[in-house]
Amino acid sequence: MLNNKVIMITGASKGLGKELALQFAREGAKLAITARNPGPLSIVEKEIRALGAEVVATAGDMSVPGDVDRFVSVSEEAFGRIDVLINNASIFGPGPRLLSDYPEDDFLEVLRVNAFNPFIVTKRVLPGMMMKNAGSIINLTSEAGKTGFAEWGAYGISKFAVEGLTGTWSDELDGCGVRINMVDPGEMDTGMHDKAVPDCDYPLAKPHEHMDVFLYLASDAAQNVSGKRFEAQEFNWKQGEENE
Amino acid sequence: MNDTAFDIPPHLNAAAPVEFTGKSRDEVKMMVLNRRTGGCLHTRFQQLPDHLSKGDLLVVNNSRTIPASLQGKQGDRVFEVRLSRKVSSNEWDALIPGSIYDTALPISFGDGVSAAMVGKGSEQPLVRLAFTIESAAFYDFLYRKGQPIRYEYIDVPWPLDQYQTVYGSVPGSVEMASAGRAFTWKLISQLRGAGIEVVPLQLHAGLSYYGDDRWPSPKHHPEEYHLPHGTAEAIRKAKTEGNRVIAVGTTVVRALETVAAEHAGNLVAAKGVTDLYITKESCLRVADGLLTGLHEPQASHLDLLKAFVSDEHLFGAYQNALAKGYMWHEFGDMNLIL
Repeated sequence: MLNNKVIMITGASKGLGKELALQFAREGAKLAITARNPGPLSIVEKEIRALGAEVVATAGDMSVPGDVDRFVSVSEEAFGRIDVLINNASIFGPGPRLLSDYPEDDFLEVLRVNAFNPFIVTKRVLPGMMMKNAGSIINLTSEAGKTGFAEWGAYGISKFAVEGLTGTWSDELDGCGVRINMVDPGEMDTGMHDKAVPDCDYPLAKPHEHMDVFLYLASDAAQNVSGKRFEAQEFNWKQGEENE
Repeated sequence: MNDTAFDIPPHLNAAAPVEFTGKSRDEVKMMVLNRRTGGCLHTRFQQLPDHLSKGDLLVVNNSRTIPASLQGKQGDRVFEVRLSRKVSSNEWDALIPGSIYDTALPISFGDGVSAAMVGKGSEQPLVRLAFTIESAAFYDFLYRKGQPIRYEYIDVPWPLDQYQTVYGSVPGSVEMASAGRAFTWKLISQLRGAGIEVVPLQLHAGLSYYGDDRWPSPKHHPEEYHLPHGTAEAIRKAKTEGNRVIAVGTTVVRALETVAAEHAGNLVAAKGVTDLYITKESCLRVADGLLTGLHEPQASHLDLLKAFVSDEHLFGAYQNALAKGYMWHEFGDMNLIL
């Protein structure tokens, strides 16, 4: 079902982004991946190749417009199109820390990386999708994007922005064949969770255990679904079945 | 060369994108030229939907501009290298303005990348370069090192994104397919809402000027094109239903007429390289109208315009545009020929 679809994933060198890249490779998709650090990115690139999938890996900072244009252009030149964009790249920032103690520069930096980045990556990828009236954009959000949690700092606030970005864009794209949704992966055993909840003493899900919602939203089965919020750990999809 | 002689006064060279005067892309001027009568109407590009009818089809070139100007080095000599056309995954035809280079030596570009001059390009004065890297690695390098090609009437180093249409999404043109620069997504959405569909093809535009009063000759200026299946189908449907097909840019006319010529007048999905030269003698099989900018008297684009309108009407319209202060070049005003 995902055979030959071109899937673009930001922040793909570790955590959930890496697991998504490997899962889509197993599903027969072509991958365009990026992350800031070229070393870990090239390891994921090799793992994807070893799975027999086509991949283009371009290191860059997705909060910098020139890097975004380079990454998307290199990918479009290689594959001719982008079918699915997963805006996964984000940072937690300092913390746990009270907002009253939160440094101004860090606040701006977290918003730039977490809210400005999906805006500029989406804005750059959309033209290709809007010209062919098809495409799926998936933004990563968090429970902290709809509920204020003490000491989660600018991270939660930036995810409120991502939820607003998704809603506004979904309304603007209504009827043009391009859909935009968001996924809350829930608490997962990743480096970022470790930073948000140090010394976590309860069991955490592994990223690779909750891929269904991403596969569903990338597939044609979800072609009429837009502006929705999904929780990855509550979602099960038997491929071939509609979920709506 | 053209016999439609005129001079563009320097103040009509658009040196800046219209957005830098506080306006929106679609607020540039538009001259609507009637193909049959030669009559001209003057309006704003935003009014485009008023001049089209439900069912009309706009075909745009969504090739995206690449940063095709590189700084090369041979020993102590530093010079500009302007890419013109991709020949293979690592070979490009390129222009090196000026002649202070040694064909026997490789040109280095930094980051360990260099190119050898392996022969002549498709026409003088182009040379063929073979780079030491290819495919995705080459484009990654190009986007790190390259700049957009800027001509002498540009006095500010505008960034690459100023040289893009809003819908550009298939990288490959060394110069912007500028006929579509004035479109905004809002306008495209209005057009679609009014039953005027906007569909893409790609033609990767090569250099339009070689410097020192030398212009490309279309017969020796091949360009790569791709007409997607959906666009070919939309054009066939428009034609069957008696609706107009309007090309946005001379590149679109070149691609469409190439496909029609190679398939006995039929529009089918196709890709290839074209060296078609369209002149007033050419019979247009697909394009019923043309949306374009204003062209220099020496450019072969004007020959192509004469396939749509007589010399007399074109000359009259251009005199009109000059008198009314229309702006020329990629950041300039628009001309709709219907």
